[in-house]
Amino acid sequence: MATIKDKYAFVGIGLTKQGSLPDLTVDQLAVQAGLRALEDAGIKKADVGGYIFQQGIGGGPSAGAVRDIGIACQFALELQSGGATAVAAVCCAIGAMEAGICEAVMLLHATSASSMGVLVGAGGEGASTEGAYGWYSPAAMVAAMARRYMAVYGITERHLGMVATTLRENANKRPDAVMYGKKLTMEDYMKSRYIAEPLRARDCCLVNDGAVALIITTAERAKSLRRPPVYVMGYGLDHSQREASRTQQAIYQFDGPVTDKAKESAFGMAGIQPKDIDVAEFYDAFTISVPTQISSYGFCKKGEEGGFLEEGNIRLDGKLPCNTSGTEQSWSYLQGFSHLTEGIRQMRGEGGECQIRDAETCLVSGFGATGIGVSASCAILRR
Amino acid sequence: MSETYFKQLPVIDSTTKPFWDGARRHQLMAYKCLNCGTYYWPAIDCMACDNSKMEWAKVSGKGYVYTFVVYHQLYHPGWKEDIPYNVSWIKLDEGAVLLSNLVECKNQEIYVGMPVEVVFDDITDEITLPKFRPLT
Repeated sequence: MATIKDKYAFVGIGLTKQGSLPDLTVDQLAVQAGLRALEDAGIKKADVGGYIFQQGIGGGPSAGAVRDIGIACQFALELQSGGATAVAAVCCAIGAMEAGICEAVMLLHATSASSMGVLVGAGGEGASTEGAYGWYSPAAMVAAMARRYMAVYGITERHLGMVATTLRENANKRPDAVMYGKKLTMEDYMKSRYIAEPLRARDCCLVNDGAVALIITTAERAKSLRRPPVYVMGYGLDHSQREASRTQQAIYQFDGPVTDKAKESAFGMAGIQPKDIDVAEFYDAFTISVPTQISSYGFCKKGEEGGFLEEGNIRLDGKLPCNTSGTEQSWSYLQGFSHLTEGIRQMRGEGGECQIRDAETCLVSGFGATGIGVSASCAILRR
Repeated sequence: MSETYFKQLPVIDSTTKPFWDGARRHQLMAYKCLNCGTYYWPAIDCMACDNSKMEWAKVSGKGYVYTFVVYHQLYHPGWKEDIPYNVSWIKLDEGAVLLSNLVECKNQEIYVGMPVEVVFDDITDEITLPKFRPLT
């Protein structure tokens, strides 16, 4: 594994506008992002031999998107493990390059969720044992975990509010954020309606339209391209299909053993410790996932998350600046691609007003609970 | 089946039939490992000892609230009149954790660790849902 460290680097980012974009189809968004990533990297279409995409909420993009982007695909993959997908895609891209299939890969996520009016988690027709008890939606699944976690580790609703408001402050400094210009105070947070109590609307991620494409290539090729390379120091994945049926184990272990294994693998490969991380982009489809991962990834002990938040450690000027763009909470819901994109931008020094000065290392995490089980992923990036 | 019941009905297959048959008789059942005795719900092979020899066994129906949520957002039209309603995960004295609803108490009174016991809700002529109420 050690030989892979720093062997591959991100060289291109292509972003569309993020928000409500009813005039653009999901394919048009994907093409725009793909072409912008090529332009940003200064790489030829013919040199990008791989394409890996994740379907966003609401579906798409189609094969037409990659055809119109025009890269010379030797392979094209669709991946889906929910919020863990983005980092998993990085691993697949590196695997393909290690296998000698190609020397550059485009990773892409596109969604038209808000324009399609998707109610995430809505119940269907027919029999459902979970539905018989009114058990619907990822928000409730996380809310149940959150309630238990909060009771055991002393996390309060105000602590979740600290996550929501801190991330919103970050997004307020980023002109391309969905929530740019839209303030959120603690009072606003406490007044926001409950979705699945204890989680409020302001604990849940955005649902919006947008796309991003990222290009990763070999460190050697990266040297000749126009952007400063962002190297992959380490990565880790873990999965448990035993939790697939969302049984009690999913609730006990929502952020337990799978995260531990992903963390050990990534830090082992990178050869660094949590104290060496300058900025963290934690998967944040729901606010609760920030404190749970702060401790799971070793930045404090279990039970210390509340104090960690109260000390302001996750703020831009804190000990561990987290989710510096506002990520899924307030920047844009591109699932794990929100975090990967911001991690790369931070390492390039393109974080704008949210740039963490002299930041050299970044942890990017992903977490997904889908029909195929519970997956955790993380990557450590450096400039 | 009642024509006025608008919520979804449980999935009853060959594996889960004894659970629902038990519920209809007002007897709570859980899936028990024949090797180590660990109880489960729903029916899955034993995770404690990697065993697939399981049976449905009667359980006490007593336990506590492991965690719960209160729905304010409607996700299915069948629950329209119930908002805000609770979905509670009940850890039985035998160890299995059941998805259920807490009845005979207000949502504001529920807490993690609350002692509860099973009650049976005959929702149609054929189907009974085990639910729970505070243990008095």
